Amino acid sequence: MFRFLFVLTAVMISTTAWSQEKVTLNGFIKDGANGEELIGVTVYIPQLKAGTITNAYGFYALTVPPGTYEVQYSFVGFKSQVITVELQSDVSRNVELQTEATVMDELVISDKPIDENVVSVQMSKNTLDMAQVRKLPALFGEVDIIKNIQMLPGVISAGEGTSAFFVRGGSADQNLILIDEAPVYDPSHLFGLFSVFNADVIKDSELYKGGIPARFGGRLSSILEVRTKDGNNKNFSASGGFGTMASRVMVEGPFKKGESSYVLSARASNVGLYLMAADQENGVNFYDINAKVNWRANNKNRFFLAGYSGRDNMKFDGGDVGFGWGNSTGTFRWNHLFNERLFSNVSVIASQFDYKLELKDPVQGFKWTSSLQELSIKADLSYAINTKNDLSFGYHGTGRRFAPGKVQPTTEESIFTTLELQKMYALDHALYIGNEQQLNEKISLDYGVRLSIFQNIGKGDVYLYEDPQDNIDPTRTDTLHYDRFESIKTYVNVEPRLGIRYIVAPGQSIKVSYNRMVQNTHLVSASTVPVPFNTWSPSSYYLKPQVADQIAAGYFRNFSNNKYEFAWEAYYKDIHNVTDFADNAQVFFNENLSTEYRQGDSWSYGTEFMITKREGKLTGAISYTLSKTMREIDGVNQGKAFKANYDRRNVVNVQAAYDYSARWTFGGTFSYSTGRPFTVSSGKYEYGSYNPDVITERNDYLLPAFHRLDLSATLTPKRNANRRWKGQWVFAVYNVYNRKNPFTVYTRTKQNSEGEIIGDGTEKEARLVYLFPVMPSVTYNFKF
Amino acid sequence: MKNLIIILLASVVLFACEEPFVLDSDQADPKIVIEGLVTNQPGYQSVKISRSADFYSSGATPRVTDAVVTVSDDLGNVYTFVHNPNAVEDSAGIYIPQTPFVGSVGRTYTLRVQADGELYEAEDELFAVTTMDSLSYKINTEEEEDPEIEGRFYEALMFTKEPQDETNYYLFKFYRNDSLTFDSDTDIYVGDDKFLAGNINGIGTPIFYSLEDVARVEMYSISRFGYVFYSDLNTLINNDGGMFGPIPATPRTNLSNGALGFFQVSAVDVGEITIEE
Repeated sequence: MFRFLFVLTAVMISTTAWSQEKVTLNGFIKDGANGEELIGVTVYIPQLKAGTITNAYGFYALTVPPGTYEVQYSFVGFKSQVITVELQSDVSRNVELQTEATVMDELVISDKPIDENVVSVQMSKNTLDMAQVRKLPALFGEVDIIKNIQMLPGVISAGEGTSAFFVRGGSADQNLILIDEAPVYDPSHLFGLFSVFNADVIKDSELYKGGIPARFGGRLSSILEVRTKDGNNKNFSASGGFGTMASRVMVEGPFKKGESSYVLSARASNVGLYLMAADQENGVNFYDINAKVNWRANNKNRFFLAGYSGRDNMKFDGGDVGFGWGNSTGTFRWNHLFNERLFSNVSVIASQFDYKLELKDPVQGFKWTSSLQELSIKADLSYAINTKNDLSFGYHGTGRRFAPGKVQPTTEESIFTTLELQKMYALDHALYIGNEQQLNEKISLDYGVRLSIFQNIGKGDVYLYEDPQDNIDPTRTDTLHYDRFESIKTYVNVEPRLGIRYIVAPGQSIKVSYNRMVQNTHLVSASTVPVPFNTWSPSSYYLKPQVADQIAAGYFRNFSNNKYEFAWEAYYKDIHNVTDFADNAQVFFNENLSTEYRQGDSWSYGTEFMITKREGKLTGAISYTLSKTMREIDGVNQGKAFKANYDRRNVVNVQAAYDYSARWTFGGTFSYSTGRPFTVSSGKYEYGSYNPDVITERNDYLLPAFHRLDLSATLTPKRNANRRWKGQWVFAVYNVYNRKNPFTVYTRTKQNSEGEIIGDGTEKEARLVYLFPVMPSVTYNFKF
Repeated sequence: MKNLIIILLASVVLFACEEPFVLDSDQADPKIVIEGLVTNQPGYQSVKISRSADFYSSGATPRVTDAVVTVSDDLGNVYTFVHNPNAVEDSAGIYIPQTPFVGSVGRTYTLRVQADGELYEAEDELFAVTTMDSLSYKINTEEEEDPEIEGRFYEALMFTKEPQDETNYYLFKFYRNDSLTFDSDTDIYVGDDKFLAGNINGIGTPIFYSLEDVARVEMYSISRFGYVFYSDLNTLINNDGGMFGPIPATPRTNLSNGALGFFQVSAVDVGEITIEE
């Protein structure tokens, strides 16, 4: 396999030697106001009908025949520039774009070229427009990109109060969430009230739902790539906000103007949460810290160091019961230009997720901890071969350590004893190569392949069982011992990727894509929504890699000179060995966890429509998704096919923002989705003094539909040009008509609100739990 | 340990509101429910047979009074059970041995029930139970500050030595003046010795007592399967619907042919103390 890739690369590079002498125009494109590199700027040479877009580091390279050309640099929201360049030899041209200085300058800040949705080969990708997102209402006034992602077509939210999202029939653990290339294992604060992403520090967020490029892998259903700001390298600036639930502050500035800069931001929950717990002894709090430093050493080298750390802490019972969890990530990157055409980025990434539960009690005190750590090295290279071919290739190697759980007594008299589940280790290698090729004026391709080699390694023990699926009384027949780094199981998978774009007519295109994704890190969870105490497991002796194949097709069209964008996509996704758990699985602290695994099939298909308006006083989007997701797994629901937890037949999302005047902007969002499939009681019986429910089928009941309207109004007082301090008030109402959206339904013995049983204790009742009634909020944001 | 997890998860509902909900799900056909108990003490042996009912029905569920019930051991002894021979009130559906017997540690017992034309069978082994060293009691100061019932703030304390060299599972029942009592009506007190250290010195009972009350603690040994059944039952009756907790499912049972319930075979140790000044 390696030899094949090597030969392929050599062939592709050597073909360039055959063609006539080419020259390369390259450079970095930045925002003139603060020096931030701009991602996705279009660089286009009309004479050659050739172009490219800047990469994640603001870099572009265009290889063309020698000549003199007019080069257009355009990025909506910024004034386009046209520069005449004489290209007889390689030329480096850095460009700074200025924002459009019209009255409506806040309006149209999208980072996509005007008709990118039609022209680019990439389909099934949504880029979050941060400025647009800020105009929309936010829960408690905290702008949250995950909540916005939950409103995209093809993305389903589990409901309120959760940051879990499901993409095209994939479960919550099938999304790879990256912050500056480092994976985040739990993106929620407070069980999903907020996400760990502080919107102030985010530069770019992109969600890939299908047609996933070869440089990504590791999860089946989506990649959410979030990149933070690099820091204003021209001037010092600070901004922040005070809200009902949380407050944040961010400082950024140059160390040396134009050469190095930093950004540091922090966000923490405030008193509001203590009050809400309505009991002084209990409390909840969380914080996030993002920090980044970057240094442009010279024209060919750039270094970045970024870190994130966040934590949630909850205390109950007067401080006797506590739990906390959090993610920490660190990324070191080095951008290097080998020559004009060959750009590389080498990153070293570390990520950790851990949680802790503690009960303080002299007799029953214990502490339970668990963690997941990973260290990886990534090399991504891009080579602008010629006008028609852009090659990318790289290597990604990761080592992971899984520590599923350790219980320790906290006092000598405690009844608990120390117990530790064995740690697990994995080595994950991936090699990829891909090419973006313009076949002719109408057809472009983006194809590639990713080779994944996953190893579950020792030190560790593997238990052999009489019946590996007997989870009632697992009987071990033997134990296999493995030394450090000894391979327990190796899985090799080839993941082909293909995207084709065909331009039917100007402003109209058809796209088709196919991708195969493989997932070797499995979430150990038998519930609908992951909780922080869920652990992850590597593919191993008993747990096979999950493999998803997705094909998608779409039609894209822009109207009225790119004022309206229309996108229609349809997809079919097939998953083999989807990881699920047996009925009644005990996933916490189970030394025989492998007896609970049940892997089987999942299939989903759907169609998505979206219309977006990006210009004018009124902007927004409407989307509709019709989809179905099923699972069929031996050992779950008696082997019969059942609806997945996140199957939602119809989903409608409407977002709108209206720039009423220079001072006022109004925003609104409306969401509707068919009720959730749920497993409920089909009767009851007596056992002892208990009256349990009769449970027959999984997920064959539908909860009431989910719908909600949120409204917001943003007031930006007239700016006095001399005053550096700029303030802004955001008034929002969440759940305007007080819809009680079901969070869950449970049953209990019929009782009154005090907990006293009504009647003879034989009667049962069902209760609906809902989270957020109508909730107003006020937030003050500042910037100087 | 699992109970603690469930309590912690339930506390998430800190932010939540609730309201009544009418469940309009399809109701299942009635299923046979069998509760069997064989212990090493006299008077405990019984089998209760009933049927499941609709979710919104009230009163006792229908009883099966014409079943044929036998328990046999692995030595070839067969004990026949008869339905409510002394016509005790409120004991419809309960079968007791025609001739009294007790189980012995180390034996395996098989239950056979013929009801409604179907045969249901189950098997379980009688494991030894450790003895409780003693019971004592003390005032629970927290409860004393704000007792639910006036004067009821004593807790009984259990002392025992948990054998560390073997795997044991336990079920506890607590009585106040001969009445089976729970802290909350959906509590099941079941334990796995995996997490327990050797010396259990004074764990407090989950229920409280007043002066003059007689506190009784019954400690049952249960098989691994019994522990699995009670854990599943505990999860089911305390289910949050499947959002954070597991999706509701039928508790695993040693009964065949789709019967609900369980055939439990246990050794019992009983401790009793009267709360005095």
